[in-house]
Amino acid sequence: MKAIIDFAARFGAKLSLNPDLMVKKEGRYFLLTRLLRRFILEDFYYAGAYLGKTKAGKFFPSFNLLRKMGENKANSVVVDRKASWLFICGRDIFRKGISAPNGPLKVNDYVLVLNECHECLGFGRIVCNLNAVGKGTDVAVKNISDVGDFLRRETR
Amino acid sequence: MSSKEFFTSRYAKLGWQFKETRLTQAIRINTSNSRGKNIVQRLESIGVKLEKIPFLKTGYWVKDSTVSAGATAEYLLGLYSIQEAAAQIPATLFTTLDGKTVYDACAAPGGKTVQLADLMNNTGVIVASDMKKKRLTPLTNHLERCGVTNTLVYGLDARRAHRLGMKFNRILIDAPCSGNFASDRNWFKRRTISDVDRNARLQKDILKQAIVVLAENGEIVYSTCSLEPEENELNIDWALRNLDLQVEEIDCYGQKGLTDVFGNLLDKSIEKCKRIWPRDTQGFFVCKLKRRGDKS
Repeated sequence: MKAIIDFAARFGAKLSLNPDLMVKKEGRYFLLTRLLRRFILEDFYYAGAYLGKTKAGKFFPSFNLLRKMGENKANSVVVDRKASWLFICGRDIFRKGISAPNGPLKVNDYVLVLNECHECLGFGRIVCNLNAVGKGTDVAVKNISDVGDFLRRETR
Repeated sequence: MSSKEFFTSRYAKLGWQFKETRLTQAIRINTSNSRGKNIVQRLESIGVKLEKIPFLKTGYWVKDSTVSAGATAEYLLGLYSIQEAAAQIPATLFTTLDGKTVYDACAAPGGKTVQLADLMNNTGVIVASDMKKKRLTPLTNHLERCGVTNTLVYGLDARRAHRLGMKFNRILIDAPCSGNFASDRNWFKRRTISDVDRNARLQKDILKQAIVVLAENGEIVYSTCSLEPEENELNIDWALRNLDLQVEEIDCYGQKGLTDVFGNLLDKSIEKCKRIWPRDTQGFFVCKLKRRGDKS
């Protein structure tokens, strides 16, 4: 659970997770409802809201978790339509594609990437000072994970 | 006699003249994810032309598209799912779903599980199982993409459902079946009547087990995408005689279930089932069952 809280903190988000409703299986974390907790058996494959997994000491968030963090005021950037599309194709975000930064964003911080409807498309790492003057084509956010992964998983 | 001649002559005896069918892609809006969002308008703005499916509340035909409907941002955000039109019917036939315990007996790849969760507003519990473990990954990807949070997934054969130690208010049996030619171009080359008989036996076993885990006043929705009466009306006739079940009235697209199958007269109540011959949709069969004597 600490891995999840620490991950959210990197976005400036405070998550409160009820430990009684958390289960971990083979490095994967799931958040249950009270009702699911009542019925779950040991040999489950998937349960409730999948929050992410740890592999070789590193935490990989799920899109459920990113959505949840979005609801908890995590640092984010809103990007325009073209940048949204490129981002879910796995590309980085140029400075000119960002229409609104939200939060005290510094170089190397993690940020959620939201589209114009404020839906979470994934997250990335800030690689340049967003407040400084620079070229529109400078990479501003390096893509770490995006929802296009659902398609990529199918071909793996 | 070729396999095609064999099967199409059977359909003729059942009152339907074989006709080649081309399926139109269909989508279903996930309403709990898209409240306050005009998904139809959003899709149209990126070149996906939709038309409402008249017999479904949240289903649309994809009439034309400049992009793949399975690769838009809206799809990846779980705002809609790609789901064949007839396959959208079964989950809508339960009377109420909010807060219930629901068993999706043959759940992969998860289209109907996500639809059930949507109809339940993510309340209650869905237990989704599939006997083929490798099919669980696409199922759980589907749940994650659509933000489903009320589901437990097990790699379990529906014939062993008693191992779950639960009773269910609602059971969806979208049974493994022989399929139909409309959704499989090589269907006639691949299928024989012995496949149909084998699937019919498996379906009976699943029905038998469903009764064991069905709660009092519970409902079972049974469906297949097979056109063969052995997997449909004949199985239901068997269930009425052997499992103390009764067929409930349903109000959905389709024709009455057959009560005369190759000269065998079946229980009259099987008319309440719905049979869909391929035309706008793939071939399909669906019915709702309750324990005899339970409240309607």
